[in-house]
Amino acid sequence: MVSKKKKNKKEPLTFQDTILTLQKYWSKQGCVLLQPYDLEIGAGTFHPATTLRSLGEKPWKTAYVQPSRRPTDGRYGDNPNRLQHYYQFQVLIKPSPSNIKKLYLNSLASIGVDHNTNDIRFVEDDWESPTLGAAGLGWEVWCNGMEITQFTYFQQMAGIECKPISVEITYGLERLCMFIQNKKNVFDLIWNNDGILYKDVFHQSEKEFSAYNFEYANTDNLFKIFDMVESEAKSLIEKEISLPAYDQCLKASHIFNILDARGVISVAQRAEYISKIRDLTKVIGKIWLESQK
Amino acid sequence: MSEFFLELFSEEIPPKLQISARKNLYENLKKFFEENEILIKGKLNVYSTPNRLIVYIDKITKQISKKSEEIRGPNVNSPDKALEGFLRSNNINKSQVFTKKTQKGEFYFYKKPSQKINTASLLMEHLPNILTKITWNKSMKWGNHNFFWGRPLKSILSIFDGKKLDFNFYHLKSSNITFIDKELEEKIKVFNSFKSYNSFFKSQGILIDQEKRKLFISNEILKISKVKKIKINLKKELLEEITNIVEKPKILFCEFDKKYLSIPKEILIITMQSHQKYFPTFDNKDNLINNFIVVADNKDSKGLIKLGNERVIEARLNDAEFFWKKNRSQNLVKQVSKLKNINYFKGLGSYFDKAQRIRKLCGIISDEMLISKEKIEIASSICKVDLMSDLVGEFPELQGIMGGYFAEAQGFDKEISLAVSEHYLPIGMDSMIPRKPYSVALSISDKLDSLVGFFGINLKPSSSKDPYALRRMAISLVRLIVENNSTLKLKDLINYSSMLYKDQGFEFDIKILQKDLSEFILERLKNYLKDKQVRNDIIESSTKISNVDEILKIYKKSIALNKNIKKDFGQDVISIYKRSSKILYSEKENSLEILGSADPGLFKNDFEKNLYKRIHDIRKYFSSIGKTENYEESLKTLSLAKNEIDAFFDNVIVNDNDPSIKKNRLELLKMLCKSFENYFNFSKIEA
Repeated sequence: MVSKKKKNKKEPLTFQDTILTLQKYWSKQGCVLLQPYDLEIGAGTFHPATTLRSLGEKPWKTAYVQPSRRPTDGRYGDNPNRLQHYYQFQVLIKPSPSNIKKLYLNSLASIGVDHNTNDIRFVEDDWESPTLGAAGLGWEVWCNGMEITQFTYFQQMAGIECKPISVEITYGLERLCMFIQNKKNVFDLIWNNDGILYKDVFHQSEKEFSAYNFEYANTDNLFKIFDMVESEAKSLIEKEISLPAYDQCLKASHIFNILDARGVISVAQRAEYISKIRDLTKVIGKIWLESQK
Repeated sequence: MSEFFLELFSEEIPPKLQISARKNLYENLKKFFEENEILIKGKLNVYSTPNRLIVYIDKITKQISKKSEEIRGPNVNSPDKALEGFLRSNNINKSQVFTKKTQKGEFYFYKKPSQKINTASLLMEHLPNILTKITWNKSMKWGNHNFFWGRPLKSILSIFDGKKLDFNFYHLKSSNITFIDKELEEKIKVFNSFKSYNSFFKSQGILIDQEKRKLFISNEILKISKVKKIKINLKKELLEEITNIVEKPKILFCEFDKKYLSIPKEILIITMQSHQKYFPTFDNKDNLINNFIVVADNKDSKGLIKLGNERVIEARLNDAEFFWKKNRSQNLVKQVSKLKNINYFKGLGSYFDKAQRIRKLCGIISDEMLISKEKIEIASSICKVDLMSDLVGEFPELQGIMGGYFAEAQGFDKEISLAVSEHYLPIGMDSMIPRKPYSVALSISDKLDSLVGFFGINLKPSSSKDPYALRRMAISLVRLIVENNSTLKLKDLINYSSMLYKDQGFEFDIKILQKDLSEFILERLKNYLKDKQVRNDIIESSTKISNVDEILKIYKKSIALNKNIKKDFGQDVISIYKRSSKILYSEKENSLEILGSADPGLFKNDFEKNLYKRIHDIRKYFSSIGKTENYEESLKTLSLAKNEIDAFFDNVIVNDNDPSIKKNRLELLKMLCKSFENYFNFSKIEA
């Protein structure tokens, strides 16, 4: 089904053009354009370019797409809004510039969301990540009642007070595109101008990964792997090499998420696992910070 | 008189922080004006929008005169350094001081002449401090700056009588300009008076006065409800919140697909109110309908805002509907054993363990309440199953309620579904209370089990912290008993409950637990009585009978006395008791042992005999009433002793020369007091 419509400016952006436009926009603002981190992680925030780089005094600007895995959110591809794998577009700027709202709203305008004709709201949302030992204040940004972005001023990361403060902008790309393209179902999103839809790219994977996350993941093995990566992280911490140690943390975190989706972690255990990961992150944060001096 | 006007422009400050910042700023300024004797005619106005915190006073003293005053310096005998310091700090020389004797010795004094100070310069000096004193419940830092505010503070506009009032506040410098576009913060404008400021924003459709904004929103919504002939509940908290998240409200009337009305209405209402900040609407029979109200913060010039909000609610309801269909068909009974996987609390077992304990407690209670044991055991077994449902995962505040819906959908008895639905209620002092016996039994068992458990593992609330909301739980327990006229014996139930824990291998020190928990519950009863406006002295006297089995009695006695204490018979009861007990008290020192049994053979006159007879009548009254005591009647019965006691005190001298007659008269009074104590000890009650 190749679209033969003549291209005109009013045509809403495709999924991939939305990404390209945002990349171009933030690149112009001086951001280091990165590629997704090559591990399974739950959100763009977990990328070391955000977690570790938000620590310490050196200025830093970056933007990247991050595929994000949320095993518990899988719906076998049956739900029009929920996915166990989706894309975030992440921007991190340290120190937070005073014109950041303008930069953000202009980025929305660049992909066709005009704040003059829509109801853009900054709704209180204090963000906390127990696994990262992180906290921030800010908003979720609503466009006509739909959350399209998380906008956060980091106050603490890896248990360390941030100084200076970074601002993090996380766009939910699928949501945003559903809004831009006026789609009710994420799988109907137009991926490119060659007739490819979101479902052509991801429907099978949603189905299969939901089955894996909820039914087939071998939990005995996963528990073992968790212990293995945890001890690997500890031994790397002893060697004081923060980045490889942090990778192990990310792996542990993802394995924990699958175990959680499989429903084999009780409430009490949950807290225990989270604190295991947080404790590692905190030490790694310190080592990284030390290495920056 | 002058005009003072201040605007603090920031990124969007959340509603609660705005409200507290307004209050804070108002109080700090008021205090500052009072301390400096700065007069304000008219109002001290504090307004806010999400981005602007505004102070406006239309008439404020331009200049204040500080009266001349004598300032005491050091003692004349203190070292020279002291005097030098005094001169320096007042910026004067030695010729301006004089000495004077006071009671504490001779001191140097300086008579400070009267002076005139401009309010503007005082404000300039003190505003930074006043602003620093705003206490934010949550605050943040941003950029490279090193101070805390609710959200990034961008500019300060400060005007006094048309001129800017210069001061520095951290990295910011006050001026007479502000941003007029909160979105991009590109356009600035000079304002030299509040009037021009206010009318400029009004022309942009922005209402800076939150009260006007609130009124505008509610009026617009009322208009819609009239035109559409529908009901809209302007829930106070929601209206307050919405007022503080918009600056130029536009009301949109929207709708969602009717088919979603088949989802339990609680889900729809929470989705609209809590998640999306919409007002749900109802027909005139109070049935929820598929329209809702959005208060947008922008004109919907292209219809995009309405469309977008309608799509969002449909997506959310679509999700909820999916879960509702899935969860309601998941067999509750078959899921009970899965509760073993959910930890209730460390040291208190799983939710399966809890459900089993509640089931057994309910069994005992059912005997007392004369309800079907079988039914209440079913209700208690399934009451926690909904915790595993997707819907309660999504809407935790609907725990219980969803379980009730599932039970109903699966054909359980109505009383069972209702008991499951209501078993978390009441939640504290103001919430709705279950009335049906099955609901009451389940709710009491659940709360008692939790209280016994947490007290058992010694996680009692401290004076300031109550992380497991045990106070609220105990208050709810008190309410369940009192408001349902329940005569359940809590002592036995507490014991039984700890036995049930023991059977599961959780062993507590029952003696300590029984004592601590009983005291804790009685403390809550006191709070409850306070909430019912019962006088403190009555509360203290009534709860001296510290027996948790008597909660209902204590409550009713207190209420009856509180209600009638100012009436003649109430006053009589107290004066009779007090007169009698006073004499007994004064005789205490003489170490006479008064037990309360007078010997009629020693009576010397009719006054004694009549009083004796009255006491006898009172005793008879109390021994005959049993469980059906009418407490007002009891007070009236006691008050009947007035004639006899008056006659007794008017004509009989207790302090007889014959010690045995004296003792006998004291015994008689003791008897009277004792008979009164069937109600309670009135000695601490103020007439």
